[in-house]
This record gives sequence, structure tokens and C-alpha cells, in this order.
Amino acid sequence: MQMSDELIICRCQEVTEQEIIDAISDGATTVDGVKRRTRACMGLCQGKTCGRLVQRLVAQQTGQKPEDVYLQKSRMPARPVKMGVFAGGDEDA
Amino acid sequence: MRDVIIIGGGIIGSSIAWQLARRHQDVLVIEKKDTASGSAGATDGVVGYHTKKPGVQLDLAVQSIEMFRTLNEELGSDIEYGLEAGGMQPVEDEYQWNLLSQMAEEQRKSGVDIRMISAEEACAIEPNLNHDIYGALYSPTGGKVNPLAMTLAFARAAKKLGAEYAYNTEVTEILIEDGRAVGVRTFDRKNGAAEHRARFIVNAAGAWAGRVAALAGLDMPVRPRKGQLAVTEPIGPFLTATVQCARYNVIKFRPETIKDQTVLKLGQSLSIEQQETGGLIIGGTREFAEFEEENTFEAIEAMMKRALRFFPALKDVNIIRYFSGFRPYTPDGLSLLGEVRTLPGFIMAAGHEGDGIALSPITGKLIAELIVDGKPSYDISDFSPNRFL
Repeated sequence: MQMSDELIICRCQEVTEQEIIDAISDGATTVDGVKRRTRACMGLCQGKTCGRLVQRLVAQQTGQKPEDVYLQKSRMPARPVKMGVFAGGDEDA
Repeated sequence: MRDVIIIGGGIIGSSIAWQLARRHQDVLVIEKKDTASGSAGATDGVVGYHTKKPGVQLDLAVQSIEMFRTLNEELGSDIEYGLEAGGMQPVEDEYQWNLLSQMAEEQRKSGVDIRMISAEEACAIEPNLNHDIYGALYSPTGGKVNPLAMTLAFARAAKKLGAEYAYNTEVTEILIEDGRAVGVRTFDRKNGAAEHRARFIVNAAGAWAGRVAALAGLDMPVRPRKGQLAVTEPIGPFLTATVQCARYNVIKFRPETIKDQTVLKLGQSLSIEQQETGGLIIGGTREFAEFEEENTFEAIEAMMKRALRFFPALKDVNIIRYFSGFRPYTPDGLSLLGEVRTLPGFIMAAGHEGDGIALSPITGKLIAELIVDGKPSYDISDFSPNRFL
């Protein structure tokens, strides 16, 4: 059995289970709340891997059903996209 | 009965809560969602002098930025403050050069080092900057911070000293008795309706402060002004200073000089800085869109074009997320700080628009002094909400 301070939940930002539990004790009641306190879900994958795990931890710690815990808001782009693509080729602005 | 109820647990409310708790006040912070769930969690961390309106707002910023030096130590956590990052505004033509030169002259009256430099000097300081510029405004002092970490640090420090936070709790009514604000009625999903009383009620609801004031029957012209932003994947050291294109200050202080209506409507300019984690935060738009928080392709394209105009090397760097935040706009560009004459006990601490992160330390200190000592140690009469009565 791994200790919760060794178990990485968010691999992009290297956030451990213990850090997430601490964030929930600090008042986080949503995935966004954990995100702001720990940077979990803020990395390259934007929570695609850890979002559900964080949601489950929040549910466990606060005695809610996982589906009642808000996931982080999804935003553009769905995957990383180069700045040049968004600027649309011609670069006179 | 408590000493103070603060409406809004963001960077302003939490800074006030911390300062009041340090002075042994019994404080309750009522927050509709969560700490940093509003503007402080959706912005960059520029705490420079050069983006502040010349005059009293810049004077206040000078006082505030001085306080950043000791915040890590006092708050007991790292807010990632880059003290000497500096700020730069690349200029594209002679017209902008003249406008910014005039503004810099005004800004220097507040005792800050802001000067105009050549394109060569600018590129020597920031080698990744496009050499095809007319020159730049440069402020070697001033820095950047992690606004999320800072907001959470204020809240944690306040809680440690006994301040209480009620999250996910909405204020539904301001209680007024004999012409004085005496408390609030709240609602939250878990406990339902409740009533709280205090000697002072502080409105620190940021972009939502106009709505909260309306609950007290007051018409305070704080409106949400939306800013759209982007964050890139982490890259190696790319930028030290925070960089805003000259148009940023022109739009902020002299919008009447902008002819292009699209530029004006989107507030289309560039603000860019690199965070400690290596990611760049890119923003610079300002628009009136009520509380509509989605990103728009119009703004995204404009923002990215501006970014590549000044930093062509970013072309192949990936954006991992766009986001947006609401800045508390006021018609005269000055914050609202102080007690409302027609409603004793009701104090406004909002309306910093894009200066809220930089002005949060001094706002907390002065509002706490106003409450505890009856008078702040620095004259804030220019910021009195009574100017809108």
C-alpha cells in the first residue's frame, strides 16, 4: 500500500493524493477548487487524466456522490494547438 | 455580533480579512463560491507601475507594491513574487511614442522610474522581442506574482488568525436598521437561509460589487469588464519583464484616440508574462460582455496576432488553455474605497479593474485601519464611493 504523500494523482503537475486531501480540508468542494489550490489539472493534459480521480477524492472526503462534484470547466483548445494556427497565417495585426 | 462581515473571499476580501485578523477583529468572510474563483484566479500577475493610471491610482500602487517585498514572510507562503522583473511596452510608431512619453512624464510624478528607451535597448533587455519596433517604454522596477497563490495565501493567513470563511454562501439581503448597515442574510445549499450581524459590512465583491451594493439600495457603478487570456505549455526561460504593447496603455488611459472600432470594442492589445512554471500567460483584451465568460475566436485570433507581432518565435508554441476573467470596471478608472455616507457601516472596497492584484495589499491595510482606527493612515478621499452618490 502506497502512502498518500507518495501517490501522484496529477502526473503533469506532480500533485500527490495528500496535497489534494489537504486542499479539500482547506475548503475546496469542487475539482476547480482543488485545481486552484494544488495546480492539479493545470498541466499539458488539462485534467484529462486526473480530473475524474480528483472528483472522486473530493466526493470521498466531503461525503458527496462523485457525480455531484463539479468537474473543472472545459475550455478551448481540446488539445494543445500552436499559436501560429490561432493567428491564422497572416501576421499583420 | 461580529466586528466585520466581508462580502467576497477573493484577493481584496482576503487581504482585508488578514489585516483585520492581525488586529484581533472577529471577521466572517462570505464567499459565493470559493477563494480565487473569480477575477484573481483568471488573470496574469503583473504588478508593475507603468500600467497604472497617472495620479492618485499610481500613488496608491507605489504604496502597495512596496508591501510586496515582505509578503512572503508575513503570509508564511511563497507567492512567487519576482521583485525586479520590470515592465516593458514596445511602441510601434511615433504617435504611440509621443503618447506614452507624455504618460510616462505624468507617471514619474509619483516617483517611479519609467523611461523611454530605443528599440536596440529594448531588445538587449528582452532578446526574444521583435527588433522591428519604434522603441519602448521601460520600467526597471515592478514585478510579477502568482495571483492564485497570493489570494490563497491571504485567505490561509487570515484563517490562521481566526477569520472565518463561509464558502458556497450567497448574500441575499443587506440588513439595514435605523439607516445603518447591521448585517446580512445569506443562503447556502447545506444550511439554507441564515442571518449574520456585524458592526461593519465590507463590499469586496470585485466585479460583482455593483450587484451587492444594489442589495443595499445603492447604485455603485462597478461593472464587469471581461479579459480573455491564454496559457501556453511550459517552455524554457523566454521573458523576464512583463510586456504590454503600447496600445495597452493607450486603450486603458486614452481610448478616445483609438480610431479602429474593433480594436476599441475588444480592447485589443497584448499583455504577456512568463510564470515561474515556464508557462506564458497571454492576454490584453478588455470588453463589456456582462458576465458572459466564454472565449471568442475573434478575441483569440486578435490576441495571438498581437503576441506573434512582438514575439515571432512563439509561433510553434502550444496553447493549452484559453480562459477569461471579469475585472471590476469603474467609469473614472479609480477604485472605490471607504464608507458610504448615506449608509453608515457599509464600506466599499472594490472597483480596481485590472489593478486589483497590485492594489490588494494596500487595500487590506487601509480598510482595516479605517475600521479599527476610524481613519486610514493614508488619505483615500479621492477613492471615496461618495463621488457616485
